[in-house]
Amino acid sequence: MAGEAGGEAMRAIEEEVRRRVAVLSWRGLLSLGDRAASYGRRSSLWPMQFGLACCAIEMIATAASRFDLARFGSDIFRGSPRQADLMIISGTVTKKMAPVIVRLYDQMAEPKYVMSMGACANGGGPFKEGYNVVSGIDEFLPVDVYVRGCPPTPQALLHGLMELQKRIDGESFIKAWHLRKRPEVPPPVAGPDLVDLRQLPEIRDGLSRSLPQRLKAPKEAPSLRPPAAVTESATGGAVVTARDQRAHEVLASFGAKPAGGAFLVPAARWTEAAVALRDTQGYDYLANLTAADYEGSIEAVYHLYRTKDAGPALAVKVRADRNDPEVPSVTPVWPGAALQEREVFDMFGMRFRGHPGLKRILTWDGFSGWPLRKDFMEPYYDEPRKPYSTRWREGHWVAAEERNRWRRNVLYPADWDPDSLPPSRPCAPECDTELEDDRRLLVSLGPQHPSTHGVFQMRVLLEGERIVDLEPVFGYLHRSHEKLGERNAWLMNMPYTDRLDYFCSMSNNLAYATAVEKLCGMKVPERAEYIRVMMAELTRILNHFMSVGFLLNELGAMFTPMLYALEEREIILDLFEMASGSRMMCNYMRFSGVSADLPAEFMPLFSRLVTERLPRAIEHMDGFLTRSDLVMDRMRGIGVLTPEKAVAWSASGPVLRASGVKYDVRRAEPYSIYDRFEFEVPTYPNGDAYDRYRIRIAEMWQSLRILEQVLKGFPGPGPVVERNQYSIRPPEGEVYHRCENPKGELGFYLVSDGSANPYRYHVRAPSFVNLTALSEMCRGHLLADAVAVLGSLDVMMGEVDR
Amino acid sequence: MRVLGLETARGLLLTLRHFLRTYVVGARRSLGMRAPGKEGPGSAGIVTVQYPEERRENPERFRVLPVLLYEEETGEVRCTACGICARVCPPQCIWIVQAKGADGKARPKPEEYLVETNVCMNCGMCAEFCPFDAVRMDNRYELAERERRPGDVMRLTDLMVSTRYWARSHPVAWASMEEQRRIRAAAKAVPRGGGLTPPSSGVQTPKSPA
Repeated sequence: MAGEAGGEAMRAIEEEVRRRVAVLSWRGLLSLGDRAASYGRRSSLWPMQFGLACCAIEMIATAASRFDLARFGSDIFRGSPRQADLMIISGTVTKKMAPVIVRLYDQMAEPKYVMSMGACANGGGPFKEGYNVVSGIDEFLPVDVYVRGCPPTPQALLHGLMELQKRIDGESFIKAWHLRKRPEVPPPVAGPDLVDLRQLPEIRDGLSRSLPQRLKAPKEAPSLRPPAAVTESATGGAVVTARDQRAHEVLASFGAKPAGGAFLVPAARWTEAAVALRDTQGYDYLANLTAADYEGSIEAVYHLYRTKDAGPALAVKVRADRNDPEVPSVTPVWPGAALQEREVFDMFGMRFRGHPGLKRILTWDGFSGWPLRKDFMEPYYDEPRKPYSTRWREGHWVAAEERNRWRRNVLYPADWDPDSLPPSRPCAPECDTELEDDRRLLVSLGPQHPSTHGVFQMRVLLEGERIVDLEPVFGYLHRSHEKLGERNAWLMNMPYTDRLDYFCSMSNNLAYATAVEKLCGMKVPERAEYIRVMMAELTRILNHFMSVGFLLNELGAMFTPMLYALEEREIILDLFEMASGSRMMCNYMRFSGVSADLPAEFMPLFSRLVTERLPRAIEHMDGFLTRSDLVMDRMRGIGVLTPEKAVAWSASGPVLRASGVKYDVRRAEPYSIYDRFEFEVPTYPNGDAYDRYRIRIAEMWQSLRILEQVLKGFPGPGPVVERNQYSIRPPEGEVYHRCENPKGELGFYLVSDGSANPYRYHVRAPSFVNLTALSEMCRGHLLADAVAVLGSLDVMMGEVDR
Repeated sequence: MRVLGLETARGLLLTLRHFLRTYVVGARRSLGMRAPGKEGPGSAGIVTVQYPEERRENPERFRVLPVLLYEEETGEVRCTACGICARVCPPQCIWIVQAKGADGKARPKPEEYLVETNVCMNCGMCAEFCPFDAVRMDNRYELAERERRPGDVMRLTDLMVSTRYWARSHPVAWASMEEQRRIRAAAKAVPRGGGLTPPSSGVQTPKSPA
């Protein structure tokens, strides 16, 4: 018996040896080679340093010390596609960015792999219906692994990487990458909409035969009913102070009439009125400029402040004919209007007479349609307002792609001639400038560049190393936030605000919640107020840590300060995750409160964080960087913004205060319970990149001060939400509400027509407006300094492009 | 006064200190004194989670995709196809077909319930406003796949999890949910004019503010 068992064991061992070790055939030899090659390949996947949107931040977190991508051999993020073999599509692929991505992929050497990270890259994500979003990168690139989640956590990304490794393990020489015929993908071209060149014959045929492009005709067209309260002459319940009274009189002398809470100024006299407001009334700061589409007219809306004193905004409106909208530009009066006017032009087709360079900004030249007009229907248009009736009772699923003839998120004008399209363009749609002077050089930094904070492009005109001119190019992450916001119901916008500035989702939530509360006149329970301030200030510390980390990264202190910043971020995110359920996309605040009370284990951790860990971490950061040679040499005297210029160019937040202007929304127009806390508004006098760095350290200390007071005064158990309801109907009217976000003034301009959805939803994004002064600040400096200036502005593309 | 190279030396010393400290933490960890991924505000640094050998413990509220609960004992789906989740869903990724009886009348059951995971933004509102405690957020996150379709659309059968499964991963929430259900059931047991008691949360009430 024993001998038999022994013999069996021997046979098993022999079998095992044959299977694993011995090479008995050519095939066996080959497979041995396969295994070695696959092992080498999968253990040294070098990802490209390439991030698109929110998911990119989680990708960076994965590379940092807590999750440490290096353990998988993928530690080195390569700045150049030619050195990388893994492309992680980390975020929303927009139509403007898609050609760039395909081109980058083409530049990678075989064998190359594509990992699609997050819902947006997989299939459009929550922005799928947006007019500038590609529904899934697999339309253009062969994807090896899809990582689900919005956003996937670092561990989920690592799981995806392991899945990819398994896939590589299965590869063999017989079916090797170099023998495999990959279909060549030409980069798509930005025509009136994104054109996939492979589809061109089909499109030509379809358009010439006038086939319907929407396979299912929309049930309902969007209504243009203008909200009554806004158009009728009423003061809208705004408190009129004596100071405003004088401004009102000045406006009235130019023929202005009160309308809603604003003043309606005749277009013909608006420039004069603007100059008078600025020079005689001290309205030196144009905070927000946007427009709204009403029946028969488009109204440009301006919100003005005085930086010398506190108080609410003066709202001015200028009306223009909807068929041919034109108003005078205020860029000569307030230069800070430059980019915002371009945005209004891009979204509404409203022209600004006298604007120095009016052209599309978020979409591209040649894009067809004015997206934020109410009658604009996206390719995946379903119904004018959510909730869509198709989803429930008879909700038989039809993928959005099925409703479109091209099975893509595209729609072409009926009279468009596909042959007018250039076969392909040399680079991104906007760099074809002739240079008169041959000593000059046009350099394009971005949209894929290791130091442009994501998908941002700077076209720099150089003379030697000196910057003669710089033009920022936007829109590579334009996800149609505002259009979606007007389709959404009020509460549905809350998780979308998380994705504006994805470091500061908590403070974005706060700004939106307080804006709607102002519109409705809601009350917030005491405990919720404290939780809100706590979250907002933690966010500020988190954001400033990251902005310093990124800034140093761009100065050449590659990754080390950033790793330490990411450490603190992880600790703060743990608390966010504990309270809200998500690290980045918190979706925590609700109208009149927060979504859930803090869990029991939260407060002890928070208390240790505020009293022990954060002071130590800030001190560390401060001690090692502030007096460092590298930091000082690279940033002092760079990108100076004088106080006058900072105000004129509508800079806000730390950028404004680093120029010596003591203006903080938390003090100027207190929201939530900020008026109860003691804190200072730090300023620095020089307005250079170094001061913009220092102001962030100083603000972290002040935030810590507020947090200590929160800890002391934190109220006992009680309700955290007055009434959490998913459908609200604010009264007809409009509101402009602003909050001091870590990056500057985040404002929401909301118009309600009394229904369950906002009629107009506009986000005044601090990063976007702060970039107005970028070219002004960079002129005359070296190319390398432009990177430092951009870093010191601390922009987040999700918010810039929306 | 600036001394050439001093700042560099200080920076390197900082790195060295962090490097040496990892040994202390590593020793502690191998002695079982600290769980992985549990570094909190009190700890000095942060230690790498050796995924996949060890996983970071996510907090209870951690959410990824929605699931539908069914009763462990009876196998009955809690969902009544009221459609509130489909209506609150911000990107509108939930599709529901209500079941119909043989007589053609609508029954409080879903015939089909479908979530487009490539559209879902993991916001958790469907669970938050579900009046029947039927939709809940799951915490499984290892969801990478090699193909986009058909895994991107989760159907009724993919979404169903037992109450026991969910209770195990969400003990605190489960306890309070059960408590609420008991209170509701008790309130229902007391006849009040024969009418149905409306669910406590998520009732759509157009509010006219003061």
